[in-house]
Parts: sequence; C-alpha cells; structure tokens
Amino acid sequence: MATIEQTTEIGAPAHRGASPGHDPHATATGVPNTKLAMWIFLASDCLFFGAFIATYLLYRGRDKVGPGPKELFDIPFTSATSFILLMSSLTMVLALAAIQRGDERRLRIWLLATALLGATFIAGQVFEFTEFNHEGLNLNTNLFGSTFFILTGFHGAHVTAGIIWLMSLWGMASQGRLKQGDSEKVEIAGLYWHFVDVVWIVIFTVIYLVPQPAAPGGG
Amino acid sequence: MTEPTPETGLARLEEAEAEVSGRDAGTLRRSEPGPERPGPQRREREVRPHPTPLQYVLIAVILCVVTAIEIAVSYTEGDIPDALIVVLLMGMAVLKFALVAAWFMHLRTDLPIFRRFFVLGIILAMIVYVIALATLNVF
Repeated sequence: MATIEQTTEIGAPAHRGASPGHDPHATATGVPNTKLAMWIFLASDCLFFGAFIATYLLYRGRDKVGPGPKELFDIPFTSATSFILLMSSLTMVLALAAIQRGDERRLRIWLLATALLGATFIAGQVFEFTEFNHEGLNLNTNLFGSTFFILTGFHGAHVTAGIIWLMSLWGMASQGRLKQGDSEKVEIAGLYWHFVDVVWIVIFTVIYLVPQPAAPGGG
Repeated sequence: MTEPTPETGLARLEEAEAEVSGRDAGTLRRSEPGPERPGPQRREREVRPHPTPLQYVLIAVILCVVTAIEIAVSYTEGDIPDALIVVLLMGMAVLKFALVAAWFMHLRTDLPIFRRFFVLGIILAMIVYVIALATLNVF
C-alpha cells in the first residue's frame, strides 16, 4: 500500500502528491491519525475518571450527616439502567458491522437504537438524581453527595455528548452522507461510546454494588 | 517447479496468519469467510478480522449473565464476608471491562499500538490513584 507515503516526514499529510486512487486516510506511520487520537484521548480519560473514583473512595463512609447511599440506592432500578447502557454497546457494534458491509438501512437503525438506549440511561439518571434531591441529598449536603454527583454527573455528561455525536452520524446517514468508506467515523464514535460503557461498569460496581459502610449516625 | 495458484497463495497466507495468531490454519479456513461471501474480512491495519454480528450478540449475552451474577452477589451482603464480595465483584467488573474492550472496541483485532496506549492509560491511572489512596490511609 502506501509506499510513497511512508517516506514522508512523520506528521506530514502522507497522501500529499499521491494519485487520486490512493487511500486518502493513509498516514506516514501507517496508523489512522483520528483513531490513534481517540485512543490517546480515552487513555487520558482513564485518569480523568480515575480521579473522581479515587475521590469517592477517599471520602466513602466519612459523612457526619445523612442521607447516605444505603438509604438512597435503588439497586434494581440502577441495574436496569446499567443493563440498558450495556445493550447500547451491542447496538453500537452492530451499527459498525452494518456500515462495514455497506448496509446503510441497518446502520441508521442501529445508530438510532444506540442513541435511544443512551437517552433512556440518561433519563434514568435524571430520575435518580431527582429522587435523591427529594430525599434531601444534593451537591452540598455531605461528602457522599459531592463525590457521587460529580462522578456520575460527569459520566452522564460524557453519555450526553455521545448521544449528540450518534445523532449527528444518524443525520449524516439519513442524508446519504455516510457511506461504507466512512466506516472509520462510526468506529471512532463507537470507541467513545464503548468507553463510557466500560467506565459505567466500574462506577456501577464500585459505587452501587460494593457493600456500603453503615449509614451516618449508625442508622 | 510448480507455478503458485491463487489457491496455494491463499493457503500460504492462512498458514502465515495462523502462525501469528497461534491457531491452526484449518480452523482459520473454516471460521473466516472468503472474499465472495458476506461477513467480516480482515481490513488493512488489522491483525485479525472483526467479529461477526453473531459473536457480538454472544458477547452481549455473556455480559448480561455476568451482570446478573454481580447483582446477585451484591445481595449476599451479610451472608458471606464483605472482603469476598468485593473480590468477586471487582473480578467480574474486570472481566466485563476486558470483554467490552477486546471485542466491542476491537483491541484484540486492531493494531497493538492502540492497545498499548489504552493499557498505558489504565496502568498509569491505577498506579497514581492507588498510591494517592494508600498515602491517605484508605486501605
């Protein structure tokens, strides 16, 4: 493949001067730049979410006032929303498989399904936050409130950004502007989407499922 | 000396791939569709072809089962030691994380450089925050 491109300096547009038949995405390193950039971003996002998870663990069980997680968490409800987010990863890879084989109809269906499942997860999170607020927990109530809302709130913001991205792709696909040759666009959006899913796998286990310390005041 | 035919060329390619992946060439021939059949094919810059939709569904089913076991384990609080629950839950979370990263994010099929960057980020995060939490006497 890109033998001419490999002789260019690193970072330079590798297809410069190439004939029109050449791969426009070829790079000097042989690695797609956008995909590599997404992986580096995801690696840095591990540190971002790691900071919030570590902070949650640091302040876990150190509250002087309630309400605490034992009184608030509704595990069956959160399990259901977690299941929905997990299934959105399946629809995302099915969208990628569809565009890779040139099936634009199924691409649109699976992209829309992924966005809708993500929106359902966000709706569940909004409902949960509202319930907690009615129970008297907000960002300033106690350490649990601060660390919980910051961590899950940032994750929710990531999911929301992913939904906007997916809907943009769905809009492009609906207008016929997303062809088989553009599968890398869907793949990169998919990487981001799966990442928010794996982050939720960790958050769900660490915050919701791991045995909680006793409620503040011994309640 | 015999002229190489397309058939022998394909067989040699499969043998080379099998050598890289540590699999039997016959297994590859059976599991990977040829260019004339619909299905995933190894694209440029990939070590192996992407999984089939059926394999994706299978992974999703495994993820659901593991999640169900996780939730069931969380309800055993008080019946078995908390430390054991934490170990079991963290083990299952790591398994789910690895399944999604390897199969859905294609880390097992893509170029190793992507895996290296991602694993580097995870390891760096774990080292930094485990040290921070240990310094602050969380464990």
